[in-house]
Amino acid sequence: MLCENCNKREATIHYTEVVGKVRSERHLCGQCAAQLNLTGDNEKIEQNFPFVKLLTGLLASESLQNDSNDYFAGQVSCPRCHMSFREFTRTGKFGCAECYDVFGPLIDENIKKLHGDNVHCGKVYFKKKDLCPEMDTSVELQIEELLTQQREAVLLENYELAAQCRDRIRALREKSSQN
Amino acid sequence: MLRWFEQSGRNSDVVISSRVRLARNLKKYNFSLKLGVRESRMMTDEVMSRLETITEFAEYSRYDFRDLDEEQKEAMKERHLISEYLLGQEIAAGFASHDENISIMINEEDHIRIQSYVAGMDAKKAYELASEVDDHIGTVFEYAYHDKYGYLTTCPSNVGTGMRVSYMLHLPALTGNDKISGIASEVGRFGLVLKAVYTDTKGKCMGDIYQLSNLVTLGKSEQDLIENINKIAEQIISQERAVRKEFIKKRYMTALDSVSRSYGILKYARKLTLADGMLLLSQLRMGLEEGLIHEASDYETSVYQLMIGIQPANLQMMNDKEMSQEEIDISRSQFIRDNLPMIQ
Repeated sequence: MLCENCNKREATIHYTEVVGKVRSERHLCGQCAAQLNLTGDNEKIEQNFPFVKLLTGLLASESLQNDSNDYFAGQVSCPRCHMSFREFTRTGKFGCAECYDVFGPLIDENIKKLHGDNVHCGKVYFKKKDLCPEMDTSVELQIEELLTQQREAVLLENYELAAQCRDRIRALREKSSQN
Repeated sequence: MLRWFEQSGRNSDVVISSRVRLARNLKKYNFSLKLGVRESRMMTDEVMSRLETITEFAEYSRYDFRDLDEEQKEAMKERHLISEYLLGQEIAAGFASHDENISIMINEEDHIRIQSYVAGMDAKKAYELASEVDDHIGTVFEYAYHDKYGYLTTCPSNVGTGMRVSYMLHLPALTGNDKISGIASEVGRFGLVLKAVYTDTKGKCMGDIYQLSNLVTLGKSEQDLIENINKIAEQIISQERAVRKEFIKKRYMTALDSVSRSYGILKYARKLTLADGMLLLSQLRMGLEEGLIHEASDYETSVYQLMIGIQPANLQMMNDKEMSQEEIDISRSQFIRDNLPMIQ
């Protein structure tokens, strides 16, 4: 397929653009895609092309192809901010920190496609509880939160996350019994 | 205290500045998309009042969009103190160090955006500055952080390190040789993007100034991301230098003539459009950097500072009034005459 912009080179970047309810397929060669990006295209949000568009495109085309999954995914929504999966695929944005646990398993592969990886390996954030009173949550509360997270993970068949939760719960319980 | 755009640094002939932006969200608030007006106000006020208690920020100046008019905000954007996104926000506030090298934006696309600038090519230093600010904020708030995905951001395109590192590059020779679009598609293969910083209404680049930044933010450490962009930036720098040298070597008089003509117009024009001003200053910058022309005094003028100075909102702020297009063009030429370096 030839690039729809220059009609000369082979199109190597394919994505679905969703504006409101209008869905359109775009096929560009690398050079034209970069050039479109180069002009900034008067977009308010910088540097989002082709990332967000690619992501929403990937998600939209997947849900179109896979009706049964679409039905299942359509039912998933974030208990905290009430973002639905459909809304997420349209905007390409998360509504709150919990969305990552809710939609994470559904888009993990796509995140990997975009970043080339799906696990953070940069700076690690250590919560300094003694300095921050709001973080002074009791061990019981933390365990409670992890249990909820674990249950959700099992429901979404994300066994890796569920196992992580289990290990952290175990560690917390051991620590509190030592104290 | 000199601001980053008043100084020069490593590889300053091509690299104007290094910038690092860190995106951070607070765990207890919904992200911008699901944060209503009332909650946005609450979040902004809480962050402002909490950060005021941090001793390291005691000397920083504060701003709140409630107290600023459109021109002032626009001028802050022109000085790169705030982002385009923040400018579009109704509710926003922030801190800035006195030299404006560090800026903390609140209620951006993410709750907090930490930005640091360093003159010339030194992303490592810029990252250290931003990371230090990040550590301070992380002690008074709990960030939205995930063991697997790292720092959580509104857009999945920023998740992980939440870091966007960029170099502002002056590439007149590669632009003149029509090499930019080729390079732009090449850098994409390395998870980077190259785009024009200033564009006219048709999207054409003004001033030959480009920004090279990383797209990938997850799965690589901050150091690896910096190393990656450094490698590619070095290559672009050497290409730009090679084309400049080649042109000057082969067509010395043509090069000298065009730089000198640009200087002449800058010195004597009585009206200058933004596009013309940027083009001429770009020529002047290259002429000075390549030693085609020399400043009469030892003082090193920052041409990029002039480029910021001739932006419309800054001119209107200096004149303290709203101006017509023609008045801005007249004021622009005046500003350049007042600040143009003397050459030998």
